[in-house]
Amino acid sequence: MITKFQVAYKNLLRKKVRSSLTIIGIALSAWVLVSLLGFNRGYENSLNRDIDNMGFQLMIMAKGCPYEAATLMLKGGTGLRYMDESIVKDVLKEPEVDKITPILMSAVFDPNKGESGGIAAYFGVEAKSFAEMKPFLKFRQGGWFTDENSNEAVMGFEAAELEQREVGDMILMPEKNIQFKVVGILNRTGTQDDGTIFVPLKTLQKIFNKPTEITTIGIKLKKGVDSTRLEVALYRLPDVQVVSLAQVKDTIMKLISTAKVMVLSIAIIAILIAVVGVINTILTSVWERFQEIGILKTIGAMPWDIFQLIWMETLMLCVSGGILGVIFAVALSKLTDIAMRRVLPYAPGGGLVQIDLKLIIVTLIGIIFIGLISGIYPAWRAGRIRPLEAIRGEVSR
Amino acid sequence: MKTISKPASGYEPAGQSRQMLSLSINRMKPKLLAVRGVILAFLFILVVYTAAWGAVGCDLNDPDRDVARLFPESTGYKTIYTSIQKKGGEKLLSTVETRLGDKFHGIYETIDVPYTIYEIFANKKKIGYIHGVNQKGQFGGIQVFLVLDLQGTIRGFYIQKMTSQYAAKLRDAKFGKQFIGLTIKDFSHYDVISGRSSGKVEAIKNPAPEAEADFMAALRATKKNLILMDEFIYSAEASPSAQEAPKK
Amino acid sequence: MSEKITAIEVTNLTKIYTRGIEEIISVNNASFQINKGEFVSIIGPSGSGKTTLINLLGCLDNPSSGELRLGDRSIFGKSKRLSERELTQIRREAFGYIFQNFYLIPTLSVLENVVLPLTFYCKPGADDEALKLLKLLGIDNRKDHLPGQISGGEMQRVAIARAMVNKPEILLADEPTGNLDTKRSTEIVQVLQELNRTVGLTIVMVTHNQELARCANRIFEMRDGHIAQIEPRADGTAAEIACPL
Repeated sequence: MITKFQVAYKNLLRKKVRSSLTIIGIALSAWVLVSLLGFNRGYENSLNRDIDNMGFQLMIMAKGCPYEAATLMLKGGTGLRYMDESIVKDVLKEPEVDKITPILMSAVFDPNKGESGGIAAYFGVEAKSFAEMKPFLKFRQGGWFTDENSNEAVMGFEAAELEQREVGDMILMPEKNIQFKVVGILNRTGTQDDGTIFVPLKTLQKIFNKPTEITTIGIKLKKGVDSTRLEVALYRLPDVQVVSLAQVKDTIMKLISTAKVMVLSIAIIAILIAVVGVINTILTSVWERFQEIGILKTIGAMPWDIFQLIWMETLMLCVSGGILGVIFAVALSKLTDIAMRRVLPYAPGGGLVQIDLKLIIVTLIGIIFIGLISGIYPAWRAGRIRPLEAIRGEVSR
Repeated sequence: MKTISKPASGYEPAGQSRQMLSLSINRMKPKLLAVRGVILAFLFILVVYTAAWGAVGCDLNDPDRDVARLFPESTGYKTIYTSIQKKGGEKLLSTVETRLGDKFHGIYETIDVPYTIYEIFANKKKIGYIHGVNQKGQFGGIQVFLVLDLQGTIRGFYIQKMTSQYAAKLRDAKFGKQFIGLTIKDFSHYDVISGRSSGKVEAIKNPAPEAEADFMAALRATKKNLILMDEFIYSAEASPSAQEAPKK
Repeated sequence: MSEKITAIEVTNLTKIYTRGIEEIISVNNASFQINKGEFVSIIGPSGSGKTTLINLLGCLDNPSSGELRLGDRSIFGKSKRLSERELTQIRREAFGYIFQNFYLIPTLSVLENVVLPLTFYCKPGADDEALKLLKLLGIDNRKDHLPGQISGGEMQRVAIARAMVNKPEILLADEPTGNLDTKRSTEIVQVLQELNRTVGLTIVMVTHNQELARCANRIFEMRDGHIAQIEPRADGTAAEIACPL
């Protein structure tokens, strides 16, 4: 016995180039779709993780553009304005606040970084309160500075790697030409802390002649509290703005949402084009086999049998294309990640494209469903072929 | 029931059919090989890129711009990634350390550090190489790039990054000029630990005596760079290399 | 004398085609009987309506009027019009078809082509028929070949095997030798004769070849849609055709 599946499969092999091109068309749309959905999930997960790893839920900084502030916070750049550290006392009074940590971000120009120089940024922190805010920070070597007035530094994993530093080595702050002793090197966190050099807050304030000024206060809330009242209260403080990390996430997601919508539209168009390609391929194949289909009906095939045969061909093309597209997406996810990082204004650490089994299955089901819908018309048309018309089509009497 | 006999003639002999079948398979072979090639290319890109994300290497910040500047007569370049681990493992590491006259130090100078070698072309002809190494300096990492011709002679010296008050002097073109024309042979007498040397290397002047540690680090980086290029490229191209141990 | 069982009974069967305002009577009031086990050939010039007649007999089309009975079943009659589905059902149970152009599926092997009808409809015991049929028709050694790898005569044998795999009551052959040379044409008609003699298969064959038509028990000559003449052979058997070479 030969099954309908085998008949359908062998029909596709009749025009290998055409079938292959159709499958590649579907594969490319599937690749775009899986990569995009993987990126949507990966970006959000990585961003959430980055934000969680910041340790704070709210940040206070001097008034300025929220978009710039938000992205600069996460990119580890300098703040634009300064606040007086007396604000810390006011913040601590609020009932919702559990812990706070003051931070001063400063930067210098290093002319000896590459051809045209670069920025070297430093975070001035209080070791005790900063460590309490981020208990998950672990050390590869050494530990935090113990003297808040010392010239000691703790380096993020990648910062230490770039400078080839170990505990006990010295680093030099360009422009100011001040030396620091490395007392700690952090383990990799996958956040912007990896590229950061931490020094004691008081030391940095002295170096930059900002004895009472800070750029940011990181705030951790007590468990289960609603931050709305606190945010309103904090806004009453003069010349500050309150950035909730949830807000930061929203801001950044908004920044890229336009791009996401555009890319999603392109993916949908790609799928529609692939669907049209499938319909065209199957319809052409049906017209080419007009007589043959007529003969199949002559020898006993019901319209439903013909419908099934043609529909199976569509299904095979879509499944093959879908699987191939998924393989492309998974195999090239790293390259997609790199490409995305080049294009995006801000990219969190960690994998930007996260493709898991659930996503693969959902996408495959979607593609198969679309394929089945697109196969209905050609299959129905084939089922309606009348054997006599088909036979008469060639032989004339 | 009477069996209907075979027709008398007009058959294709079975052998001809087998021939047709084997012809079809032979026609398919190049197509199968092409498909396999594409799959291998994808896997290669994946593996190479994964490998490059291990320990930190030393790449040009802007290869297009930097290659054109360092090798003005070039029209293009190709990038090769390798490491001591890949090229020869522990045995090669031991050879390199012996030639260097010093062990590899610390947590950053390891057997799996990736090295990026830029092969420089003028049209289709290879004309030289650019290769950089990281070296621990007094206050930060130093990235030392050598521009080499096909015989392994230095024709350019470039410190891409250095952290020092006196970095400008060591990054100045005048300092780099002292390295032009030198080869691995010249550095074979240079002791990276004591800083003692003879011949052409002895003639290299330190423009920043206050940064003696960084000056010695730059020389160590240069010697290491030349040894690695000799092991990775020039020996493989069958050019003999000086193997004398440094004088103490 | 053995009792003759009617396989096909046709009464005033008519088929009229409309082409614009013109009406063409392709089959005009045909009436005849074909008994079980008979080998009937239908001859006539082009346009005489022989193909239309065999299409009506084979339930490939509905007549404009008239009656058709298959055995004791009434198929067309008293303006009864059947749907495509109903016609297919009848075709499955009663008929096997072979055509001038063989119409084998080029991507399926000889064996696969023969068993193809079983994919859609399988009578009891039909599964084992395929290989037996191939052996009977002398082409079992070609069972794994594609249609493009065998000769025209072999292709028509495959078509015959396919037509018979579902154990039809009646085999309809529309110009089965139309695309074959004289030698292979003779072979095919011999095959049909053998099937008629040994298996007792009722065969209706349309042909324009007068010599081959004479292999049948009876000959219906058609002209302008009418069955002008029905010719039985004197002894009711088919003569062996001498090889023309």
